[in-house]
Amino acid sequence: MISAENFPEYNVPGVVKHDFHPYESNGGSVVAIAGDDYAVIAADTRLSSGYSIHTRKQNKLFKLSGTTVLGSTGCWCDTLALTSLISARMKMYHYLHQKVMPTNAISQMLSIIMYHKRFFPYYVSNILAGLDADGKGVVYSYDPIGHCELASYRAGGSAGALLQPVLDNQIGLKNQENVAKDPIPKEKAISVIVDTFISAAERDIYTGDGVIINVITKDGIETRNVSLRKD
Amino acid sequence: MALAEICGLSDAPFMKANSFSTDDAGIELFKLSGNMEDPFSLAVPPFANPCEHLAELQATGENSGIKMNFDHGTTTLGFKFKGGVILAVDSRATGGQFIGSQTMKKIVEINQYMLGTLAGGAADCVYWDRVLSKECRLHELRNKERISVAAASKIMANIAHEYKGMGLSMGMMLAGYDKRGPALYYVDSEGTRTPGNVFSVGSGSIFAFGVLDSGYKWDLSDEEAQELGRRAIYHATFRDAFSGGIVRVYHITPQGWVNISNQDCVDLHYKYQAQKEAAKH
Amino acid sequence: MLPFNNGFASPLWHNGPIPGGLYNFPGHNGPASQPKKDYGVQRASQPITTGTSVVGLKFDGGVVIAADNLVSYGSMARFQDVQRVFNINNKTVVGAGGDFADFQCIKRYIDQKIIDDMCYADEYEMKPKSLYNWLTRILYTKRSKFEPLWVDIVVGGVEDGVPFLGHVDLRGRSYQDDVIATGFGKHLALPLLRERTETGKPIGRDEAIALVKKCMEVLFYRDCRASPNFTISVCTKEKAEILGPFKVSQNWELAKSVEGY
Repeated sequence: MISAENFPEYNVPGVVKHDFHPYESNGGSVVAIAGDDYAVIAADTRLSSGYSIHTRKQNKLFKLSGTTVLGSTGCWCDTLALTSLISARMKMYHYLHQKVMPTNAISQMLSIIMYHKRFFPYYVSNILAGLDADGKGVVYSYDPIGHCELASYRAGGSAGALLQPVLDNQIGLKNQENVAKDPIPKEKAISVIVDTFISAAERDIYTGDGVIINVITKDGIETRNVSLRKD
Repeated sequence: MALAEICGLSDAPFMKANSFSTDDAGIELFKLSGNMEDPFSLAVPPFANPCEHLAELQATGENSGIKMNFDHGTTTLGFKFKGGVILAVDSRATGGQFIGSQTMKKIVEINQYMLGTLAGGAADCVYWDRVLSKECRLHELRNKERISVAAASKIMANIAHEYKGMGLSMGMMLAGYDKRGPALYYVDSEGTRTPGNVFSVGSGSIFAFGVLDSGYKWDLSDEEAQELGRRAIYHATFRDAFSGGIVRVYHITPQGWVNISNQDCVDLHYKYQAQKEAAKH
Repeated sequence: MLPFNNGFASPLWHNGPIPGGLYNFPGHNGPASQPKKDYGVQRASQPITTGTSVVGLKFDGGVVIAADNLVSYGSMARFQDVQRVFNINNKTVVGAGGDFADFQCIKRYIDQKIIDDMCYADEYEMKPKSLYNWLTRILYTKRSKFEPLWVDIVVGGVEDGVPFLGHVDLRGRSYQDDVIATGFGKHLALPLLRERTETGKPIGRDEAIALVKKCMEVLFYRDCRASPNFTISVCTKEKAEILGPFKVSQNWELAKSVEGY
């Protein structure tokens, strides 16, 4: 193969030698909580790599249907490729079956499409939130090669490991005795999500600037914006 | 635009599509998600030896903040006895040192008479179990009888062998009840397939084996067998950091599988502790 | 096989031998096939002749993109009069940084697309968003084959009366924003631009041009791969125009006061 390194005499002095690495970590966090008749999903709006912030207003939530939203972070170019593939596939499903793809079908398709790149994966952290056929909130979380798990609350992305314990405590009420495990009201879920992001912005350099929250109910998807620290 | 298509203008040599554009979006879509139609058609990576190079990509990525950890686990066990087959598993999925999930389902219900346990790469196991489930159903439709566990495990072993050396990570047991009676097979990503009476797979398997071997005999009653499986997994969760969460016990009888119990290992811990205390007095 | 060589003839014998290449039967992967390096076949994966920063800014009713006129060869200021901002059509402009050869390769295809549009004579012109999306897909596909086109492209324009500004890099990572700077400009120019845009007050055309000129000056002083000559491309609803070349009016009086090194 003809390439520069086979011709040492043509090496250019002073040229910056780069190793090409196909992946880049662009940061960002996603948190989702499912309730009895709603699902809330939120992602921060900072797109960065290394120490530079590319943009402060990148929406990382992708509305796939009237009842399903995908939050995706990681290597942004993989996110873009994956989400556009998903929406193309969903259109095909729509034209073929004359109906919008339901949330559980999307969750399975996402898993299959991610596994397709098993040997050169999409470097993404995906969380899918939506309403199931009965109108109940569901959250699915994924690993980079498409392992899918149904949960009722989930944090992912660069501050995922920071936020999941907060949710375990506040929403899952894990390992707490003598507490009533009542259903979480919608507004409480939203306020917990906002709090977790405020905390994440405090401790994770890849999370900040703002949060976009999508509240999914049977009446549609409502979007809210909250600002975060910009430092 | 449309008129140009009809006139065939776009086929004229000076309008020829360049190598950056695709001739057929359908073909392109198939290339990007071919396994929606054919589960065996996975994307070919742009490098040789994906096993080594994917690992290398992940390793160099560590320096640039990229941590691509795949979920994995586990302690699983299965044994045959006079009353059928018992499968018991934990439910912890770890990505690196982070516990990704404490509620993972490590027993996959392939059909009413067959179960698969999963250890190793969660995505690998779940994906191929799903493919297996489809193949088993097709077998049933083609042959008007249920597939034997031996045949199903052979399909799985063939799949594993097909991808041998590519870096898949699976260690699974297939258990079921067919016309030959209870069946238990171990299949892994190296292509190994072997029948047996007692298996335990995963990081906590050595601990589980200790309990299992000391209590195992063919003539166990149903309750004794279920309790043996549960206790073995509990002890594995106690000693193995990569196992934990919920202890799930399944029993396969001639009538199909039954989910016996799903208990948090914290509750089991206090239960067994109380039993120990009671035995002292 | 050479890439991009299927200009006119369609392949007759699809799996046949490539002229000048070793022939293997389809599916054969034995020792006679090409010796594989790490990650299989790899192109020269480093930039050789490079352009430095590109700066872009949205203003009220349009966008402005600026880049200096230098294409370096390593540390040598090799080509000193190469324009790096281009008008694609009346509503789309681009600025290119990174490996200039790779960009020229892409540019040829963009030009062909423009010619195609003209041949169709359907009064349709490529809009900035579609060029931006096309570039994203091209660059992502190339990176997924481990054959990256080592470029940083800023796409600007006016789409349906609304200004558009986007950035695509060699991995196909793309985003849109009110201010964009690539290369060294990411560190030097971006804060200057953000300082102004984050006041929230509308920016006029003249102010935008002045701001970008200031950025080019700062970059010239501190980026050792930058030149004083630069070009600005301005795109508004009415038209896209190239301004310049401009020259940074240099003042090295300061140099006399720098001591102690």
